[in-house]
Amino acid sequence: MELDIGSSVLREFGSEQSLLSKPDGSATFMQGDTSVLVGVYGPAEVKVNKEIYDRATLEVLIQPKSGMPSVRERTREQCVRETCEAALLSTLHPRSSLTLVMQVVHDDGSLLACCLNAACTALMDAGLPMSRLFCGVTCAIDAESQIITDPTAQQEKESRALMTFAIDSKEHNVMMSSTKGSFSVKEMQQCIAVSQKASERIFQFYRDSVKRRYSKIL
Amino acid sequence: MRETPLSNCERDFLLKSIEAKKRLDGRQTYDYRNIKITFGTDYGCCTVCLGKTRVLAQVSCELVPPKDARPTEGLMFFNLELSPMASPGFQSNRQSELLVTLNRQLERCLRNSRCIDTESLCVISGEKVWQIRVDVHVLNHDGNLMDAASVAAISALSHFKRPEVAIQGRDVTVFSPEERDPVPLSVYHMPICVSFAFFQQGTYLLVDPCEKEEQVMDGLLVIAMNKHREICFIQSSGGIMLLKDQVLRCSKIASVKVSEITELISKALENDKRVRKEGGKFGFAESVAKERITVLTREEAPLEMTDVQATADEIISKADAPPEVVPSPVIVATGTGQVGEGLQSTWGLEDDDDEEEEMSDLTEREKKKDEVMVISDSEEEEVVILNQAGQSKCS
Amino acid sequence: MAGLELLSDQGYRLDGRKATELRKLQARMGVFGQADGSAYMEQGNTKALAVVYGPHEVRGSRSKSLHDRAVINCQYSMATFSTAERKRRPHGDRKSSEMSLHLKQTFEAAVLTQLYPRSQIDIYVKILQSDGGNYSACVNAATLALVDAGIPMRDYVCACTAGFVEDTPLADLCHAEESGGGTTLSLALLPRSESIALVQMDARLHQDHLPALMEAATVACKGLSKVLDDVVRQHLQEVSVQTRE
Repeated sequence: MELDIGSSVLREFGSEQSLLSKPDGSATFMQGDTSVLVGVYGPAEVKVNKEIYDRATLEVLIQPKSGMPSVRERTREQCVRETCEAALLSTLHPRSSLTLVMQVVHDDGSLLACCLNAACTALMDAGLPMSRLFCGVTCAIDAESQIITDPTAQQEKESRALMTFAIDSKEHNVMMSSTKGSFSVKEMQQCIAVSQKASERIFQFYRDSVKRRYSKIL
Repeated sequence: MRETPLSNCERDFLLKSIEAKKRLDGRQTYDYRNIKITFGTDYGCCTVCLGKTRVLAQVSCELVPPKDARPTEGLMFFNLELSPMASPGFQSNRQSELLVTLNRQLERCLRNSRCIDTESLCVISGEKVWQIRVDVHVLNHDGNLMDAASVAAISALSHFKRPEVAIQGRDVTVFSPEERDPVPLSVYHMPICVSFAFFQQGTYLLVDPCEKEEQVMDGLLVIAMNKHREICFIQSSGGIMLLKDQVLRCSKIASVKVSEITELISKALENDKRVRKEGGKFGFAESVAKERITVLTREEAPLEMTDVQATADEIISKADAPPEVVPSPVIVATGTGQVGEGLQSTWGLEDDDDEEEEMSDLTEREKKKDEVMVISDSEEEEVVILNQAGQSKCS
Repeated sequence: MAGLELLSDQGYRLDGRKATELRKLQARMGVFGQADGSAYMEQGNTKALAVVYGPHEVRGSRSKSLHDRAVINCQYSMATFSTAERKRRPHGDRKSSEMSLHLKQTFEAAVLTQLYPRSQIDIYVKILQSDGGNYSACVNAATLALVDAGIPMRDYVCACTAGFVEDTPLADLCHAEESGGGTTLSLALLPRSESIALVQMDARLHQDHLPALMEAATVACKGLSKVLDDVVRQHLQEVSVQTRE
């Protein structure tokens, strides 16, 4: 069950920050044709029944492009929320609310990873204090046991297993993993290693985009 | 979360400046903000930016049975959603007045004016017709949501292409876009809404109010027209008193504005068609202005994988050995199953004799791991368990 | 479109009226004893019932009260038997919510709300039989109910529909004419000052025909206001005769 790692590519990606005027922070992240738009509000007033006495309450909402939100969106929200809660210093804002609203603009594969990247970029844009940055990478294992990073929707459909990992920036640990399909432990470890490699590229991109953003005072 | 209320001095300032014929962003009374229309990768997806107001529209279709009253007409369904990211005052799943008003106005503007030929959406009369669903998401609220939503909806409908169908008797085959080129919808005309805001009991009038202006206005008049100077829909809202000539004057202004906006939409559609035909890149990713410092893009590039294999192997070797492969299920009686070993019974029952016998049986059979062991309490002789590899007979 | 001829060659409509003729109007005020004001109105075959409670303290959430004016709360619903096919959802759907909002804004413009700060006026309207011109019948019935309740208003609010067929404007449309696919303009007018409280139009109409259409609707509303005025004066006479005895 040796996997052929071969030459993995990350599709061309890009991001834009502060594109919406109303939210405190906003960003859009594009990976190939997959595009997600995120708006962040916070820290703001929280409803009494939702307040937590020593930390901020984080709420994540994912809205699909057509149709009503379903269980699929709820599971993605859960994944993103747990990653963000691990990264944010929510104890600095007790009894406040942080709201992350995501709109799927186009889905062409690796949607959860794109959501995570967009969320991190938006949180940076909003200036919320975080203990670490995070990024999302999706790996797919196709029928010939080859690892494909950042798969398109077509490649995802034909794959045997699909894994998304959220990697943190400090120690490159796995913060969240969401998998689908069947694979061995060894395959998973190889995919994690590949994701960690890919995350380095994405973190460098975060640094570059923030440097560029603050190179001039807008 | 709540919307920040407008303070009294802001309100007074806005009203005084409107009386002096000045607007916050320097526009003239009848000027529109900059409209930018971009289309996405798949057909029927469109984003409209009216100044800072941003709206996303998506058109999709599915085959459904038609309404009983109109068996030969297709259906149209409109859904406008105020995304919570558009404004801190918007909350999901809340039926606010604004949501109902916008939804109904969009429906009336596009459905009652019959801008799409619904007869052509019929596949099998009385059984299957196309239902066109238009989802409009408001992404940023900076005033004048109705205009932006109508422009987005009609652009998305003009851009959309539905799959081709072939009918053979009662069978309908829907072709995917790869098999046969999809078919565009037949749009008769493009109704565009123009909003007029009234201040000081109808004395002052502004076209395309921004959010601050909307908060101080007395009332709103929405007129939808198409470029053939046909009025598709008029609606006045807010407790204002209008005069007949005010309404007529607004309709004249609206006709001018609508022809300008229709030009813009046609140009954007033309551009998109040209880019797709030439094989260039299209979609939202391409429409992002790369020179802005808030934007950064990276090209597609391979990852270095030189030491990945080594890292992976290292991790695996360092990790604890995975637990033993789960032993084959131990079935206590025919018809039951057990995965793993159950806990030792702590009930203190006196079954020791039986257990010992069974234990000796077990040790023999453990060597044959691939078999499913059946410990049967049956007192029948010659119990044969069917359909198992390596059958074991219990006695 | 196909089928029915909305205007014959001699100028007669489906129900025998001429182009600018209104349907028969009948109204009664004070039909409910327990409400502060009530009215029942028949405009042709459309029957509407309006009930007014108030002004009273703001019920429900205190945050809705306004410090300088009264809040007007309207609710529009249709009886399940009012249309040809049984109505599944009489209230709560989008159309009813929209209609309630329109009624609210119409009366916010007409009622002198400054006289009752921090209070609430409830207007409930129900359509018992729907034959076109639902909104107009509601507005007219609610006007009478407000007058019956003694709530001060700037003027009567009269509403009427108008349509356009073959270059002729028609006044006061019935259901067949409304759903025929032609234009429908609903206008709510304060007749003395000729100011428009609400204007609403559906379906396509060329811009040049708009003045004629609005003129037809205005004339129809003015005619209606005379009828409403007569009804009010007659009701007052009856009531004063009764109280004198």
